[in-house]
Amino acid sequence: MEYLYVNKTLKVPIYKQISNSITKAIEEGQLKYNDKLPTEKEVCRTFSISHTVVKMAYEELINEHKIKRIKGKGTYVTNRLVFHTPLHEFYQLESKKVLQKVSYAYQTIMFDMIDYDIAAYRMLKLQPNEHCFVVLRIIKANQNPVLLQKIYFPEKYFPKLNLNYESTDRLFDLVETKYKHVIKHMHNTFSPMNASSDEALLLNINEDDAIYFVRSNIVSHLDQQLCYVSNYFPGEFTEFEVMVHAV
Amino acid sequence: MRSNLIEAISIDRRSAVSFTEQIKESIKALILDQTFYYQAVLPNPAHLAKHLHIETKEVQSAYDELVDVRYIKKRSNDDYEVAYFELTNYFFYRNVAIYDAIIALGMTPSIQCLEKKVVKLDNQQLLAMGFKSGEKLLYINRIYKGNDVPIIILENYLPLSVFEDMDKRFIGTEPLNAYMQKEYGIYAKLSNRVTKAVNLTSSLALLLGERKHAASIQSTNKVYDQHDRLIDYGQSHTTSSYYFQALVSRDEMNNYYQREK
Repeated sequence: MEYLYVNKTLKVPIYKQISNSITKAIEEGQLKYNDKLPTEKEVCRTFSISHTVVKMAYEELINEHKIKRIKGKGTYVTNRLVFHTPLHEFYQLESKKVLQKVSYAYQTIMFDMIDYDIAAYRMLKLQPNEHCFVVLRIIKANQNPVLLQKIYFPEKYFPKLNLNYESTDRLFDLVETKYKHVIKHMHNTFSPMNASSDEALLLNINEDDAIYFVRSNIVSHLDQQLCYVSNYFPGEFTEFEVMVHAV
Repeated sequence: MRSNLIEAISIDRRSAVSFTEQIKESIKALILDQTFYYQAVLPNPAHLAKHLHIETKEVQSAYDELVDVRYIKKRSNDDYEVAYFELTNYFFYRNVAIYDAIIALGMTPSIQCLEKKVVKLDNQQLLAMGFKSGEKLLYINRIYKGNDVPIIILENYLPLSVFEDMDKRFIGTEPLNAYMQKEYGIYAKLSNRVTKAVNLTSSLALLLGERKHAASIQSTNKVYDQHDRLIDYGQSHTTSSYYFQALVSRDEMNNYYQREK
């Protein structure tokens, strides 16, 4: 609580001093995403001030989306990078450079080979027993996950992927540069879903929080279903923008 | 129809995965790839169990789990139907009125007006929304339904300097785009939308017939007319069974790469 500072001799309202010191601590990195703030009662006791004053300070910060209250748990810092992108460029994380001045880190957490998965095999038009590589990875920006991906690569289009795959590979580079496929288009389906405990853990959000779920089929110029990707974006921290024109 | 659906659902008896899980995943996959489309009636649990030579309770558990995640819903006569739906082109490609998108879904549209009032927001709020200082706005909050079932809830702020006397003339249940055109000669030329996935608040969940905290697509919209004026600031929330599609061609990706260089 050392980041809180109250000077009762100043003309600045005390609630403003509290909200300002929390804002400063967030901006300077002293308080990070998901850090728990002291309870309103604890702040009242420490500074011998009224409950209303602390409540006003916290409510101002809640309205500014800097903190949030979780019923029965407490008040948490909620500021985190919001990944904002034009909708049809949502794969910008996969491009060679990214527009935002943020460094993205790729972390592969599972690499496997399977011979069946009901949904993915239907999407990829694969028969049971055809082999398919599966990669589960997290893309982080400033330590926080912006995307969890499960990528299915049919072995017939990506032979020896186990030898060729590197954690830092961008998807399009892998498909087009390493494997020389020509992409025709991506077919994407966007839907909302609630996070399971595993997804929440990997995305650093709470269980049941909203996820922007995007399923992508990457299709080659030969109409081959090259790969299938399940993308899980943390809903609160992802915005897709679209300009829609009149019919 | 029914016999086709039943043939499409399969299980692997050698698999270590439970029959319930297999049936759930199989139906989910068939819905996601649109083999089973919106409102298609699924085989009833007993019928499917008999077809697959397994116990009814195993099918029933799979159906219950699919109901929980809103992929399917129970009909009044103990049958189940697909609940996962798309409003054609609503969020992408073209500015299709929600009312028309519901018709395209094969349903009878209706609009329930929850609130209609003139609001005076402070200048900071008005500027943040894109309106000019001192603008008086008509606020409307409405639920769009298909066959009487809530599909989407939409709040709009409309500038009364553009829509003169609309607070007195607009009843609240008219399709908005058609009304603007007919009464004011104004049409929505461009809509800028920012979409995100959010958890529904208790009040929105109640209105949409969802559980509290269900995930929903929220869209914040700014609509411009043929004279490039901001004519509508709105925010919508869909039910959790909603999805939309976007095809992105390699050319668009190419443009993107080129712009970066």
